[in-house]
Amino acid sequence: MSDHFSGPRALSDPAADISDVFAFPAPDSPQHLVLVMDVFGRSGPTAVFSDAIIYRFRIRPVELAATGPEAAFVPSKSEFTFDCTFDVPSGRTDSGRPVQRGRCVTPGGRIISFRADDENGGGDDGVQVFAGQRSEPFFLDPRMIEKTVATGKLSFKPNGSNTLYGTNILAIVIKLEWRKVLGGGPLFAIVCETLTASKRPVRIERVGRPEIKNVTLSWKQFDQINKDLEIRDLYNSEDAFGVKSDYFDAYRARFNANLAFYDGLDGKIDWPLDAHGNHPLTKLLLADFLVIDASKPFAETSYFDIERSMRAGRAHATPGGRWLNEDIIDFLLTLYVNGGNGPPVNDGVDGPITWSSKTFPYLAPRNPAKAVAA
Amino acid sequence: MIGLSAVSAPAVRPVSSPSRLTDGTIALLNLQAQIDGLEGPGTCAEAATLIDLLILRGLILGRISDYERAAQLADRLVRDAVSDAAAYMARARTHAVFHRFSEALDDLDHADRISPQDTLAKHERAGILQALGRYDEALAAYEEAADRRGQFEQAGALAGLWADCGETDAAERAYLESLRSYRGVSPFPLALLDFQLGTMWMRHGRLDQARTCLEAAIRRVSAFAAAQGHLAEVEAELGDPETAIARLYPLAAASDDPDYAAQLARILGEMGRNDEASGWCRLAADRYDALTTDYPEAFADHAAEFWLSAGNDPEKALRLARLNIRVRSTPRARDLLAQALDAKTAGAASARCFGVQLTQRAANQLEGEIPWTRK
Repeated sequence: MSDHFSGPRALSDPAADISDVFAFPAPDSPQHLVLVMDVFGRSGPTAVFSDAIIYRFRIRPVELAATGPEAAFVPSKSEFTFDCTFDVPSGRTDSGRPVQRGRCVTPGGRIISFRADDENGGGDDGVQVFAGQRSEPFFLDPRMIEKTVATGKLSFKPNGSNTLYGTNILAIVIKLEWRKVLGGGPLFAIVCETLTASKRPVRIERVGRPEIKNVTLSWKQFDQINKDLEIRDLYNSEDAFGVKSDYFDAYRARFNANLAFYDGLDGKIDWPLDAHGNHPLTKLLLADFLVIDASKPFAETSYFDIERSMRAGRAHATPGGRWLNEDIIDFLLTLYVNGGNGPPVNDGVDGPITWSSKTFPYLAPRNPAKAVAA
Repeated sequence: MIGLSAVSAPAVRPVSSPSRLTDGTIALLNLQAQIDGLEGPGTCAEAATLIDLLILRGLILGRISDYERAAQLADRLVRDAVSDAAAYMARARTHAVFHRFSEALDDLDHADRISPQDTLAKHERAGILQALGRYDEALAAYEEAADRRGQFEQAGALAGLWADCGETDAAERAYLESLRSYRGVSPFPLALLDFQLGTMWMRHGRLDQARTCLEAAIRRVSAFAAAQGHLAEVEAELGDPETAIARLYPLAAASDDPDYAAQLARILGEMGRNDEASGWCRLAADRYDALTTDYPEAFADHAAEFWLSAGNDPEKALRLARLNIRVRSTPRARDLLAQALDAKTAGAASARCFGVQLTQRAANQLEGEIPWTRK
């Protein structure tokens, strides 16, 4: 749930609130790519997808524009989209879940129908789709992150408190035979969006990389240029593949300030700013999409490996992207605080209630409803 | 009886929203899912969100038990998070729900001291000043908070303020502006706006417009109990009591809010179906007695209206109307007191009505009751 509550507007409809995006080569089938969008973090048993929202997966072939300190991607102009929409539920299952049907329009215009919560999902030529409630795969100790930011000191405990433990999300999983369904590659950039299902769809939220809006951008106090600006709704409204120039400098300033804060937490500077005050990671993170090499075999921990390899001027060995079970918070904290030049930073939370599996639909089944607190 | 205004009603305004909204059934399922997901231990922000969601569900489904639970959680939150402004803001909201306005303002003062830059507290304060009938101060407070709030929220708040002031044109303009500026997909904010405007038209006796707005609210969220209840009132006044009764039966049977049973009893009584009416009347009376014992400030006005109509106890109505006007001196509270005085003096229960012309006798008595009405 790395992007949950990532801006005031996202709070208006929980089913529009994207919490995480994952992309990984299918562990059970190397020729397939798997894309996952999680919404509605901490959802109770009655949660369903909205009938007024388009749940969109955007995929663009991407090239490496530069390596070394100026490492950058150039996404293609051509794009492949999967649009998922849902009906109003009718009836309930034996387990009490509302019965909801959905459909996914593939880049070729085919429509795949499915019933939510059906683990087999729906399928068509080279594409399999699942949607439904599953166990929250994300894990972190948010209170200690807040304390770290408030005190300016790494505040994590050996045994942290995962406030998402045992909670559920709504997930959409698309497994696709990438050579057949997509063009170009094998490097792809992936962004997920929620949009209003109107004649002129309006973007409600977008997510690419994990923990950009919350852990990275949300803190206002370090940003001397826009100290009072709630930047996340603006950021959400941007096209990840074409951020407008209007607010670009505001985003860059926030990245620079907050990344510099994290870098200083261990008392040394691992990421010296350039002559313009830019943090070395800002440019790469502003390219806010998951980049995956679909030709590489599945790997458990590979988020940001392509980017790090680019910066180091070497070929990447893993697929990049993001696997469901990766400890993203530990990875990001270590990256931001010491760039890998120091001991790993651990938030004291090392897993969810149940690990995701390596077979479709990958995410663990939903957890039983919690007992209401007395 | 609801009086028809002598003013001819203009064409009914469009009440559609600019974009597609989540179906009301889904929105309600997901509201439930949000509440379930936030139950149990959590951060202060999560607890405050849970309190807000319970209040929203209480408002939509007409569930007093949700308000009670929100109030319990808010008390606990303030005990557990004494230095967090969000805790005081959450409790201020629950105090306001129960018309404990001075306690709500105290909590907002506390939140202000902890977090002076927080504009949310200023907006909350504006809402409470509005509920107290201090409209000029409320307007100033809304304007102070305006630059930090979205256009929709600001226009929606002003629509409510103008509606309470009786400035129907300004309220309608703000309502339309709010509709135009809405960018979300949740139907709740718009259903609440429709309802707000619908009740304003009811107070002004413009029943066709009231019906249009209340029907719009119900189209967005069919389970919106208060909109269903008010629409039933309008339908009865427009000469369709059977539809009103059919609408009220399930609400009166299921809700822990006695308003629906009270309305049902009144309409059945007016139709001469006294046997049926008496059962609902007893149910409403018992429940109002319990609620005015537990939460006198919150239910004094509705209970007084009940005792003025189906409950037929002008003495009790007057006592509650007097309590109500001590809590807040709004035009509605003054009207209610005037009706209660009139009914008491006349020695008979007068029917509840909106926009009723006060008798001279009641107006004179009102001056005696409320010093600030004297010229």
